[in-house]
Amino acid sequence: MNIAKKILITVLAAFTLLSVASCSSSEDANTLVMATNAYFPPYEYYENDKVVGIDPDIMEAICADLGMTLKIEDMEFDSIITAVQSGKADIGVAGMTVTEDRLLSVSFTDPYTTAKQVIIVTEDSPIATPDDLAGKTIGVQTGTTGDIVITGDYEDEGLATVERYNKGNEAVLALTQGKIDAVVIDNEPAKVFVETNEGLKILETEYITEEYAIAVNKENTELLEKLNASLAKLKESGKLDEIIGNYIKAE
Amino acid sequence: MTNLLLSASFAERFTLNFIKEDRWKYIVDGLGVTLTITIFAVIIGIVLGMLVAIVRSTYEKTGKLWLFDKICRVYLTVIRGTPVVVQLLIIYFIIFGSVKIDKIVVAIIAFGINSGAYVAEIFRAGIMSIDNGQFEAGRSLGFNYAQTMFYIVMPQAFKNVLPALGNELIVLLKETSVSGYIALQDLTKGGDIIRSRTFDAFFPLIAVALIYLTIVMILTKLVELLERRLRNSDH
Amino acid sequence: MTTNSAELNKDTPLIKVENLVKSFGNFNALDNISTQIQKGEVVVIIGPSGSGKSTFLRCLNRLEEPTGGKIYFEGVDITDKHTNINKHRQRMGMVFQHFNLFPHMTIMKNLTIAPIKLQGISQEEAEKKAQSLLDRVGLGDRKNSYPGQLSGGQKQRIAIVRSLCMNPDVMLFDEPTSALDPEMVGEVLEVMRDLAKQQMTMAIVTHEMNFAKEVASRVIFMDDGKIIEENTPAEFFKNPKSDRAKLFLSKII
Repeated sequence: MNIAKKILITVLAAFTLLSVASCSSSEDANTLVMATNAYFPPYEYYENDKVVGIDPDIMEAICADLGMTLKIEDMEFDSIITAVQSGKADIGVAGMTVTEDRLLSVSFTDPYTTAKQVIIVTEDSPIATPDDLAGKTIGVQTGTTGDIVITGDYEDEGLATVERYNKGNEAVLALTQGKIDAVVIDNEPAKVFVETNEGLKILETEYITEEYAIAVNKENTELLEKLNASLAKLKESGKLDEIIGNYIKAE
Repeated sequence: MTNLLLSASFAERFTLNFIKEDRWKYIVDGLGVTLTITIFAVIIGIVLGMLVAIVRSTYEKTGKLWLFDKICRVYLTVIRGTPVVVQLLIIYFIIFGSVKIDKIVVAIIAFGINSGAYVAEIFRAGIMSIDNGQFEAGRSLGFNYAQTMFYIVMPQAFKNVLPALGNELIVLLKETSVSGYIALQDLTKGGDIIRSRTFDAFFPLIAVALIYLTIVMILTKLVELLERRLRNSDH
Repeated sequence: MTTNSAELNKDTPLIKVENLVKSFGNFNALDNISTQIQKGEVVVIIGPSGSGKSTFLRCLNRLEEPTGGKIYFEGVDITDKHTNINKHRQRMGMVFQHFNLFPHMTIMKNLTIAPIKLQGISQEEAEKKAQSLLDRVGLGDRKNSYPGQLSGGQKQRIAIVRSLCMNPDVMLFDEPTSALDPEMVGEVLEVMRDLAKQQMTMAIVTHEMNFAKEVASRVIFMDDGKIIEENTPAEFFKNPKSDRAKLFLSKII
């Protein structure tokens, strides 16, 4: 009885807190707060204490166009959408793929690039195609497209075990240590991981193709329109390709 | 801004978060992992903590075991001086670097070792709080040092420190919530996974919080009962 | 375990102390003490506070580790590091000023834990013995109580019984009545008097001069960590030889 009452009070307290939290807005009008997860090279990663990469560069360019100041907040990938939704961040830019589920919670701008999910394995691995993943332990980054697709295709079918790491590099580290058999992750960070870790390779097969876009709070249609307009300008001027080209060499 | 609580889609959101794709299983399985880690870590912690406390208080009382005392001091300093999540990552990625090892075992070891340091200091305080006359009475009857500790000092010390031990158990339960760092799907990570699928902060976080809260309240009650029972047995 | 005492020559003292020294840093609490306690003797140790009498008693079962000298108990040198002191302590009962009963155990458990765990006696047998001793000190009905529920006098009687349950060859009393309210002193002394009548060997540190006069077979007077005088109580109390003993007696009587 007593416990039930205490729980009820707690729930009410939580409701109140959440209501307050969801009413607070971020920073002043001229600062654009960008939520990201800076362990996703070359889209976003740390260099000399600063978050750099394709996404920050694109957003800097957009902010320059809009006359705003960019502020980057690094957080867990699976918190980004929540942060945008609750107003703690204005936008989420983290190599995020547009999905149906995500569209329920936030709006997305037009895509700014396309990417694919690939499979990283050790060089001596018997895994050669996605089908070979059956019966194996697959590492992913929690909440990424790789996580969601692998969960649907393998774990829910009882075909493989999925281990969800908070960061992409930790999944790769676990792979190099033999703790898991493969990592499913976005192609561009995968290239960086394979370059910096000996004995790893990317399977030739393309597993999933997807488009990245910027997440914006559903209420904030004004910002969405501004971002889309700015993106269109960058595309037209070739600036967008230039930024991406700085990080990704044409294949 | 939308007030999530007043939105009409409360039931829809509940369904999205827990019913769709059997997402409630992340919570239930996670709870199992959390409890497994906590229970075994607490056992390791108590055994380890007791040993360390005995070494430390023996050194303080008699000056013996100084080498073991030094080792114990290093252990206490390192464990209490670093965050448990860092210890967990070190044990997983460095100590068991190239080993394929069950992550639950890693977590049990990490949290057990961590808790042992805090339990040790709790027990040491408990042992030192027992009047030396108790110790002398035991020795004068012919009990050796270990027997005196075991039959006479420790039971009394245990009773004195029970509230602090109960508190440590509660802290430990909550600290296991960083298990997700080594890709273990404990209760918190279970909620995080749902959150990453549904992008809804409210339901998964509140559900997880309520489950922790409920367990903590049950534990508090149990410790209280045990305490009362032990207290009835003297004075 | 064989009783060493049975094998001993009749003339061998139960306890023999040779040149015992105990120092705490630079301070000599015991300064070259030698004496003997025969079987069946009741030795009362008196002296001003700080004279070293408690330290002397506590050295006899090595609760206090002697700095030098030798102590023979039943012919065995118990100051030898290779001696298993725990075995010998089982035969040397000790009663403390502050009783030191185990508060987490019932009276019966207090009395039986050592015989059961250390002498391998069955619980039934240990309890039977404990019960008869409890009856003897008039506390037969308190076996299920906890120490916290008893008065000081009752606790001290229980503490004496706890030692007796081990069948000791000697009982050491360290100011057994000093922590008691005056009206409870009598009941404890009564038990000790009873023990003396049964020929129990006893070494008693106390301030109860009347008890010493009545019960002691010998009085040891200590001051400054030395034995100043040793005599029968009749002789000691009537004709103290040393000035220090005279001064001490003049102050307390």
